[in-house]
Amino acid sequence: MSKHNGWLMALMVCVAMHSGIAIAGESGTMSKADDMKVEPFRDAKSVKALAVGEKLDILSKQGGWFKVKAGKATGWVHMLSVRKGDAKKGADNASGLLALSSGRAGTGKVVATTGVRGLNEEELKAATFNEAELKRAEANASSKADSAAFAKQGKLVARSFDYLPAK
Amino acid sequence: MKRSVQILLSSLCLVSASAGAFDLGELKSKADAAKAKIDATKASIPPVNPKLAEAVKEIKGPSESEEIAIGRQIAGNLLGAAPLVKDDKLQKYVNRIGRWVATQSERPDLPWHFGVIQSEDMNAFAAPGGYIFITLGLYRTFQSEADLAGVLGHEVGHVIRQHHLKILQQSKLVDAGSKALSKSVGGNDKVQQLIGSGAEIVARGLDKDAEFEADRIGVVLATRAGYDAYGLPSVLQQIGHASKDDNRAALLFKTHPLPEDRLNKLDGAMGDRFDRVKGLTLEKRLVKLKK
Repeated sequence: MSKHNGWLMALMVCVAMHSGIAIAGESGTMSKADDMKVEPFRDAKSVKALAVGEKLDILSKQGGWFKVKAGKATGWVHMLSVRKGDAKKGADNASGLLALSSGRAGTGKVVATTGVRGLNEEELKAATFNEAELKRAEANASSKADSAAFAKQGKLVARSFDYLPAK
Repeated sequence: MKRSVQILLSSLCLVSASAGAFDLGELKSKADAAKAKIDATKASIPPVNPKLAEAVKEIKGPSESEEIAIGRQIAGNLLGAAPLVKDDKLQKYVNRIGRWVATQSERPDLPWHFGVIQSEDMNAFAAPGGYIFITLGLYRTFQSEADLAGVLGHEVGHVIRQHHLKILQQSKLVDAGSKALSKSVGGNDKVQQLIGSGAEIVARGLDKDAEFEADRIGVVLATRAGYDAYGLPSVLQQIGHASKDDNRAALLFKTHPLPEDRLNKLDGAMGDRFDRVKGLTLEKRLVKLKK
């Protein structure tokens, strides 16, 4: 390997580490107008303004940010301003899904639902108690001390953070 | 002061247990064993006016041991529909993460249990008292431990706010269950009477606001546990994306608001509150599924 290639590889590793989780060839659509930023911070310099419905290529993810390519520009957009896929904001593309959920009543109501396939309502309704499996599940339990030790191993540190108000 | 009122309330509830809608007086399930001692202590408190006790119980709902017994029955039934994935390493891992996340809630000492069940559907279930299951299909969408933590945080939210317990109290499932029940169904028959048929309760949709609330709790509990806050939103992004070309999320979409709506709500609720909060994603520690 030439010196040049080694340097290039080191650079690539560096870039990969910086840009968090790489995402292979996924597209996204702006769900609201927001700025593309130079870095994944809200107060970072803006690259350009992106409009609702604008198409993006999602390159990677870091925290709440997607690194994206829009036209010729590359930069960071907040994840919650983007929806994966080619969907436009609004529900016209999701008419199938809306039809599925049309049986849902409004807030405050308890609604029975019927699944159509997979782990559906009929299966769940017909399910009978499986003591052996439940005991297996209970045998896997982790104590507070065990889970805290595992968290520590991963360098996770507990911290206080207030619950979010409904908006 | 507040605490002593709470203790008084819960002892009133225990005294009234045999008179209330949730009649579990003779309950002797395994899940109860640990609570039995505490109950015995509290039962020695002098009797109170039964009418008052019943009124208090109606406000407060079933006791914690009843809640756990109800959840245990639902969990056993759910596992009857879809058994655990045969992978002890995976199951142990999910329990460790789940317990750590649940420890950040106001109910850290429930007997929390977590599991991955054998279904390619994308879904997750919470039963009262701390029984939480996610499907294999949902686990496959996770890209990091933070994603897992966010989803478990959402389910922990349902448990700590007693969303399913409230449904049981509101709905007619209890009546339907007692009429339908003519023979022994395994587990605890008395509890089964309360929850309707099988694991029907987990196939019922909660109120939309309960789902949005669980989403808000999910991101906060994951953050408190030291994770990046955006695990749950990432999973919602994945599910919303995947849903266009498969219907493994059919039941999920019937019982939850659409991912699009949930992301919009989270966007509004999270705002810039998490901008300065760094957390870990731990993608390398996410346990890979056996081939």
